[in-house]
Amino acid sequence: MRFNFREIPDAGRATVRARPILDLVVEGLDIAPQACLLDTGATAIRLGAHVAELCGIDITKSPETKIAVGGALVAARMAIVSLQITKENDAHEWSAPVWFCEPWTPAFGLLGLTGFFDHFQITIAAYDEWFELTPTNA
Amino acid sequence: MAENMAVRRVTIAGQPFVLRRSDVLRTLRNVEPEPISSHFVVVGSRRFPPKQVISEVTGLDRADFTTHQARRTLLRLGFAAGRRGSGPKAGPAMSEAPDESLAERMRDFTGEWIAIKDDEILHASSTPQALVRWLGNHGQKADSVFRVPEDDLAASGLAPL
Repeated sequence: MRFNFREIPDAGRATVRARPILDLVVEGLDIAPQACLLDTGATAIRLGAHVAELCGIDITKSPETKIAVGGALVAARMAIVSLQITKENDAHEWSAPVWFCEPWTPAFGLLGLTGFFDHFQITIAAYDEWFELTPTNA
Repeated sequence: MAENMAVRRVTIAGQPFVLRRSDVLRTLRNVEPEPISSHFVVVGSRRFPPKQVISEVTGLDRADFTTHQARRTLLRLGFAAGRRGSGPKAGPAMSEAPDESLAERMRDFTGEWIAIKDDEILHASSTPQALVRWLGNHGQKADSVFRVPEDDLAASGLAPL
């Protein structure tokens, strides 16, 4: 599945840099796919704790751990959830551990190594502003 | 905005009204836009169905007038109008025509949660919960949901040094 980079404005900057952003359906909440940035610097998938609440995922029984997001420590609770990406008539669904973090500063989720990068063969063509995902179990 | 465009005397459904652009902006400030099926007008950087706007400012039942009447009236007040899937058409002396990229249009919603569908901003809310509630209540399905970054930290996910 090939996706174009997407422009999201950066307050205070006149120019907009398109980035590899993917919409992720979390636990079947397909009316509101969560925009997520492909982030090789993240060791796993990180989303705001509000996403768990929206999707009805109970993370209260999961032990709280402190993890670093962009250099800041946040409280995170992990749950294994179903994730789905779609592109026109193509869709791919898998399960992966997701760390739901509070507080959550980024404007979108972060797709990291465990649960995302280790699940796809990924080609990123930054010059041409697209990326392509091929599930490794396809 | 020319003064004669900011106020319009119109007759809708047989009733005379004096509509002011400022009144429309004020009335719609705290009104949630309904889903756009086809036509829309841009009021305060948000897209509304024309009939919703006229109904809000006049109190008329929507069955009493047509989309065309509502759209024409709002165009004359200087609001931009358009149709889903095509670029918005500016009204005369239009000052807020968003004939620009989606990213540029998002700047009006800095710090808010937005739902995108077909390169249109479907809705914006102050919280993700309110946004998802709106999607559910209106039977809408977004392509993407996120917060428009308010600063470098939100845009990059980086913490302050």
